[in-house]
Amino acid sequence: MSVVTKENKNIWYLPGVLTGMWITLKHLFKNLSNKKQMLTLNYPEEKYEYSSRFKGNHILTVKKDGAIRCTACMLCATNCPAECITIKASEHPDAHVEKYPINYEIDMLRCVFCGFCEEACPVDAIRLGPEWQTPGIKGTNFIYDINHLAYRPQLKGGVQSAVDDQDRLKAGI
Amino acid sequence: MSDTKVKCTINGTELEVKPGTTIIQAMTENAQRIAHYCWHPGLSIAGVCRLCMVEIEGNPRVQIACNTLVTEGMKINNTSEKVKDAVKWGLDFHLINHPLDCPICDQAGECGLQDQYMEYGKYNPEMAESKQKKHKVVDLGPTVVLDSERCILCSRCVRFTDEVSKTNELGIFNRGDHAEIGTHDGKKLDNKYSLNTVDICPVGALTSKDFRFKQRVWYLKDSDTVCNGCSTGCNVKVYFNKEGLFRVKPKTNQNVNGHWMCDEGRDIYKFVNRDNRQLKGRKYGNGSWHEEGHAGVAAKDAAIFLKGAKADEIALVLTGQNTNEEYEALLNTFVNIYKTKNIYHWWPHEAQAEQFDGLLLRGDKNPNTAGLKQALTKHGISTKWADLESGLKSGKIKQLVVIAPENVFQYKDLAQKAALFGQAEHLILATSVKFPGIETASLKTATLIPLKSYIEKDGTFVNYKGDVQKFKKATTVVSEALTGVELAHLLAGQSLKIEVVPTADLLTAESNTRKDQVTLDHRKKNEFVFNRGRL
Repeated sequence: MSVVTKENKNIWYLPGVLTGMWITLKHLFKNLSNKKQMLTLNYPEEKYEYSSRFKGNHILTVKKDGAIRCTACMLCATNCPAECITIKASEHPDAHVEKYPINYEIDMLRCVFCGFCEEACPVDAIRLGPEWQTPGIKGTNFIYDINHLAYRPQLKGGVQSAVDDQDRLKAGI
Repeated sequence: MSDTKVKCTINGTELEVKPGTTIIQAMTENAQRIAHYCWHPGLSIAGVCRLCMVEIEGNPRVQIACNTLVTEGMKINNTSEKVKDAVKWGLDFHLINHPLDCPICDQAGECGLQDQYMEYGKYNPEMAESKQKKHKVVDLGPTVVLDSERCILCSRCVRFTDEVSKTNELGIFNRGDHAEIGTHDGKKLDNKYSLNTVDICPVGALTSKDFRFKQRVWYLKDSDTVCNGCSTGCNVKVYFNKEGLFRVKPKTNQNVNGHWMCDEGRDIYKFVNRDNRQLKGRKYGNGSWHEEGHAGVAAKDAAIFLKGAKADEIALVLTGQNTNEEYEALLNTFVNIYKTKNIYHWWPHEAQAEQFDGLLLRGDKNPNTAGLKQALTKHGISTKWADLESGLKSGKIKQLVVIAPENVFQYKDLAQKAALFGQAEHLILATSVKFPGIETASLKTATLIPLKSYIEKDGTFVNYKGDVQKFKKATTVVSEALTGVELAHLLAGQSLKIEVVPTADLLTAESNTRKDQVTLDHRKKNEFVFNRGRL
């Protein structure tokens, strides 16, 4: 280990320091005179509203009848680079639906919010929603299950998918 | 005349084939790629899919390769633009009524339509009509589900029930657009070979009830092995991932099983999975089971008991479900080290061993009875089962080692045998599957040692007609379990050798390369053509 000592007798750093302090002081006066323009928020009492297109926590969309849109094709799980999606498929009693997930889990601590799942989904069943402030204290479960993903209270009964089975049948797909 | 060969040129390479060979046979036998759906090497020629088009020099039009015989000096080509165009349009007609079910279709990933579409597809279909609706999720029988919309009417399954299983359950009904596969009124597709129709279906029209929606096929890896369901010894492929085995499919071997396998053999993957397996070593004494322990420790403790016993007091029971290597190691331990000749062959299928259903299924439900008999003869052992029973009753046999069968579900006499073996002063039961009835059987003292199943070890089986078939380890399900060879070493009081494979060898090991490895060209076309297993 070695210590480098350097004798600096140059005092020309003073103008730089003073300029910096003046900028800080300028903002202080500006904020005091016009509180509304202030960028700082008193989090968590005040919260910033992001755009509705912000890609935060996942949502499983629902059909018109409220059932989950997902067909358990596993393309999201295949595409997921973090391998955080686990799906268990089963046979649906309705022959037109055929396959549906009985279990759909996302490990939020593994997820990197890349949005590849959303991109891979052929039926608009999974989306990244605007919700992002989901901290947890000790004991919080960060493995979101199918009910939480589709019907958590914030979603108010679920987000309806843009792709509809009836329309698809009519179009002859 | 019959041994003369016919010369022909296929895609610029000169070939010599037997007279009577069709063009598609000549091409597939010589590793040439050709699109086809209805042709199957094990079935008759139908010529309905019109996809195996080839251009023959001298003929103005393309024609199908499956129903054209190779003649002397024929010049065949299937890489020209004319052929590609014909295949492209043929494929488009197949897809007129084919639904966009790939996301929920079990066949996706190994589907003939997907594969050919990547290669020849017309990516902008011009069909304006809406698709014909047909029956979905039709219950054909106890094993198979039909989706008529996905069917391309190649008639492979119909020909299979006509020609191979000879049960004639399936047929094509109605005409034109409305044509669909079905069974006759009140009949079910219910035969011992029904799941072969699922294998040969080039699309997802026929799906197996057992495998339906369990896994996407690209999450599974496959490995070749030999079926241990009966003494036929069919060559099979097992499909597995880190969770265990999911299905078994036949692998073509003309000398043993042709292209097929039975439904019974497809069920045996179930006993290999963790739910059914003996995971830990266990001991029984003073009327109760003790806590579970390590497999190797249990085997070493058992060796102490064996060492303290006299040669006459030790007996070994074997079944025809282990490999030749294991028999050799176990017999070596007991004959040469413990000097005992009390080695018995547990074989409840002896009376029905000669039964045969005419295709594949045999009455002897052990894959390696012939191998065991050879090993016993080699060591000069000829004992009778009655001797074991009387020996146990009189208390002459004190240390009884039983290598339990892997596929215990084929052994109907387990409860009686558990009671019989329990008479021994100390029972050492090495089993891969949880031995049914052992928890409730009346025992004196016992040691349970978990064994590996046939999927988890290299080995050799000898089938009913003496074919020696080697197979390699596919995967590991219970890592702690011992192979029979390891058990033989531990019971002899020896320690296990750990073979260190040099890193250089690992990279060039045979297991690391696959013949069906998808080349870079295919990857460029579609990333998901290659198996992306999660292992």
